Amino acid sequence: MADIDAAMLDIIKGHAVGLTSGPTRDTLITDLGIDSFSIVEIVYEVEEKLGIEVPFNANENPLGDMKTVGDLIDAVKKLAGKE
Amino acid sequence: MSRRVVVTGLGGVCATGANVAEFWANAKKGYCGISRRTLTAEEYSLTLPIAPIDGFETRIEGLGRDMTRADRFTQLAIAAADEAIADAGVDFASGLGARTAAIIGTGIGGQTTIEQGYVGMMRHGRRPHPLSILKFIPNAPSSWMSIRYGLNGPAFAISSACASGAHSIGVAADLIRAGAADAALAGASEAIMTYGALETWKAMHILSDELCRPFSKNRKGLVIGEGAGVLVLEDHAAAKRRGAKIYAELGGFGMNADGKDMINPAVEGAAGAMKLALSGVGSVDPAAVYINAHGTGTLLNDPTETKAIRATFGADADKVVVSSTKSMHGHLLGAAGAIEAIAALKALHEGVVPPTINYDEPDPACDLDYCPNEARARRIDLVISNSFAFGGLNAVLAFRRV
Repeated sequence: MADIDAAMLDIIKGHAVGLTSGPTRDTLITDLGIDSFSIVEIVYEVEEKLGIEVPFNANENPLGDMKTVGDLIDAVKKLAGKE
Repeated sequence: MSRRVVVTGLGGVCATGANVAEFWANAKKGYCGISRRTLTAEEYSLTLPIAPIDGFETRIEGLGRDMTRADRFTQLAIAAADEAIADAGVDFASGLGARTAAIIGTGIGGQTTIEQGYVGMMRHGRRPHPLSILKFIPNAPSSWMSIRYGLNGPAFAISSACASGAHSIGVAADLIRAGAADAALAGASEAIMTYGALETWKAMHILSDELCRPFSKNRKGLVIGEGAGVLVLEDHAAAKRRGAKIYAELGGFGMNADGKDMINPAVEGAAGAMKLALSGVGSVDPAAVYINAHGTGTLLNDPTETKAIRATFGADADKVVVSSTKSMHGHLLGAAGAIEAIAALKALHEGVVPPTINYDEPDPACDLDYCPNEARARRIDLVISNSFAFGGLNAVLAFRRV
């Protein structure tokens, strides 16, 4: 489980131009400063690095009710079947 | 169409210059940017003379994060546009941006992205990067310019092979004349220095295996280059009001199609486009005309272009000076008309004709004054920049002093 946490924080860190320090589970998604390019890239990196498939459709709100980085990480864990 | 369109800013990058100042200094020196290089893709490789831009990679980070995620042809275009805007001293934030166009051509688009994507997919089973489409679409430079500089006027790419740059500049000027925009970023970009693209060019059997020698009898063909050129175009009255430095007026633009052949150029088409461009500039002293030729250094282009210049100027053709700067920076393909318009504008501005280098053997079929090997000071009142594309598409720009 810890490896997904670390991997996710690392992926998000690479795109979080809105932050001055690294993201944590409590960081608000809206504070990350990610743009449309970054959303697509983050999904791609999650799939490549964690070997899971994200059922992401850009025509829908990709974040749903998620508000924090921790919500994102938990969603990825769920996809990875580890929760 | 009563508005007059002037050039107020220049930006460019190619093998012979990281910016316009360096490009022009090298053009006057007759500096050759062509050398033998090896391009590779996996176990394949190809060695041939090309005119690549060395060291551009070190500039990408300085162009900002967006450009680290763009294809090379967009990076080059943005570097040129940043320079042109700074040169013009134009402020788009003051409201002008809402009425500024971005017309940036390309012959191919994001070749590097396409090729890397396919190699990874076909040979290694890797999925293509999800932003590949946004990187390689031909309109990527014009779109990024609209975002980067806050431009809301017409924005699109023009693709007409080796005439893309000239078409883009001419059409952008027409948009201003027609009132569809008040200013424009206009030019083109090309970056196809990949193994796959060059092997494909080689298959046409028109590439030189040594230097590029336009109009010289021992010419062996064209040499592929890369780069971008961007002009800032403005309505003359508005440019004057803001006290802008004005390089020249785009007085004439001629475009047509041969309607004959995909490869072989036609004298009538090329001459027709030149005559159309000249019809916009009024009377002109042929002894003060400089033509920046398409001058590819191929067997077919050079005598055809020579005949077209004779058909256009008649007995006065012996008074005009012609040169092909492709002998130095190679053939920038879609961006050729853009970088060469800059060479022509600098020639007009300074009264210096850049030379046709590597010229060492007169050809009876190419019998004009090609300013061989050394730059020449000359009174220049009008410059013409010729672009004749595969597919028989012609675009000619005529700039004159304001």
